[in-house]
Amino acid sequence: MQSVGLTYTTSVDKKPTLKARVKSFGRSGKFSRTVNALDDVSIDVHYGTVLGIIGSNGAGKSSLMRVISGIVPPSQGRIEVYGSVSTLLALGVGFNASLTGRENVYLGGLAAGMTRAEIDNQFDEIAEFSELGEAIDSPMRTYSSGMYARLAFSVAATVKPDILIIDEALSTGDARFKQKSLNRIKELRTEDRALILVSHALATIEDICNEVIWLDKGKMMARGNPAEVITSYREYMHVRKSASSDEDV
Amino acid sequence: MSTPVTVYEPFRAGLPPMRQYLRSLWSRRHFIAEFSRSELREQNYGSVFGQLWLVLNPLLLSGVYFLLIYIIGGASDANRYVHLTSSLFFFYLIANSLTGGVKSITAGQRLIMNTAFPRIMLPISASVIAIFKFIPTLIVFFAVRTIVGAPYSWQMLWALPIFLLGVFMGLGMAISISCTNVYFRDIASLLPYITRSLIYLSPILYEASALSEKMRTLEIANPIFNLLDAWSQVMVYAQAPSSSSILISLAWATFIFFVGTYFFLSRERDFAVRL
Repeated sequence: MQSVGLTYTTSVDKKPTLKARVKSFGRSGKFSRTVNALDDVSIDVHYGTVLGIIGSNGAGKSSLMRVISGIVPPSQGRIEVYGSVSTLLALGVGFNASLTGRENVYLGGLAAGMTRAEIDNQFDEIAEFSELGEAIDSPMRTYSSGMYARLAFSVAATVKPDILIIDEALSTGDARFKQKSLNRIKELRTEDRALILVSHALATIEDICNEVIWLDKGKMMARGNPAEVITSYREYMHVRKSASSDEDV
Repeated sequence: MSTPVTVYEPFRAGLPPMRQYLRSLWSRRHFIAEFSRSELREQNYGSVFGQLWLVLNPLLLSGVYFLLIYIIGGASDANRYVHLTSSLFFFYLIANSLTGGVKSITAGQRLIMNTAFPRIMLPISASVIAIFKFIPTLIVFFAVRTIVGAPYSWQMLWALPIFLLGVFMGLGMAISISCTNVYFRDIASLLPYITRSLIYLSPILYEASALSEKMRTLEIANPIFNLLDAWSQVMVYAQAPSSSSILISLAWATFIFFVGTYFFLSRERDFAVRL
């Protein structure tokens, strides 16, 4: 990524009433504001790297992930991506709650870019990992949020691309499933793959990643050794090492 | 390095690399089918008859027009009844593409914001759903036209290219309107009035031959007028359609498809920041 910036305009509608709309008709430009989501960010990520991205809410972490994966075009700069990219930016993308878990494994897998044959081959593994048992054949409307997230993570973790981008997907299910998810992510760390991980769980980032970037208001504040960057971030945020800052709660 | 390289640069209106785009679209064909099927199932989820509604809908619609023409109207005009049902069912193929397509991008926000894929898949899915809904109506229609004793001939094979032309037209309209709705959301509220106007301006409640020569000339401006006329000729009278009907329909369908697709493809990278 070379000098990447992302700017977008959002509408500001303080009074979404009919009267306000009539008064502002034809002057919509007045009610918008520009957001600088990313400002001159340059990074290189090589195969074998597990890059953690940290920062407060609104720092630009998700925007950075969307720019790298080609979902949103940058406003300035240039990004070169070598190899296939798979994103896990939100769990259950493409799922349809009216369908059964089994049908959603196919729908979610196909949405993630897998082929039907690949899903056929890995279906048993996905079902077993999700620990849903017979519920896999029930409509997902009947699932608890934890069950929903478990199946979604199981599908997403089956995709094995060259570059895997994961945004806040480790806060899934109960403590045991969280540990299982973390182990799956660790299994995905190989020399021929790059992992980019966004999380507020600083201990997890320190445990998994070999490099960390700290973003604040769209700017890159620091990059380097996980322990050092996380310490700087904690000092800046006036947050001490604690359960609430180390893990998703 | 032998791995494929993708470059992302600031958005400029213009076509993406087409070979790569089409390859990506083709590789997602199973997702389009599965996504369309799931959307269709959701529409009838929780109802007692479920997917049976795909057949019940045209059957009931046909029953309503039987009531209107035979019982209330007191006429035994089989041609009028067959024309009305065949034209209306074919009209819904196009109208369902439009109504499904209009919000296909804005409703697919979660997918668009979290996955990179050819966005044109979403209006294509809307057209696939329209085809899924149309096929059962054909079964009902052929049952109806057999019962009322409408003629059959080899000329009815014209129905296949006209159907494909209808799909092509509906797809072009779905792509165009889905993109328009990203920039001008009011189009979704205007759509019911557009489709209602199209019903009255097209040869559905009346036959094209009932119009004056002057009106027929003006109807060239209606993209679906000649298409529906051709469909009626084939399905009601089992006759070959006029070549002018086919050519005018083909010209309209091609125009709408290519202009709409160009507009869509040249803007689709901008969708994520517009949703």
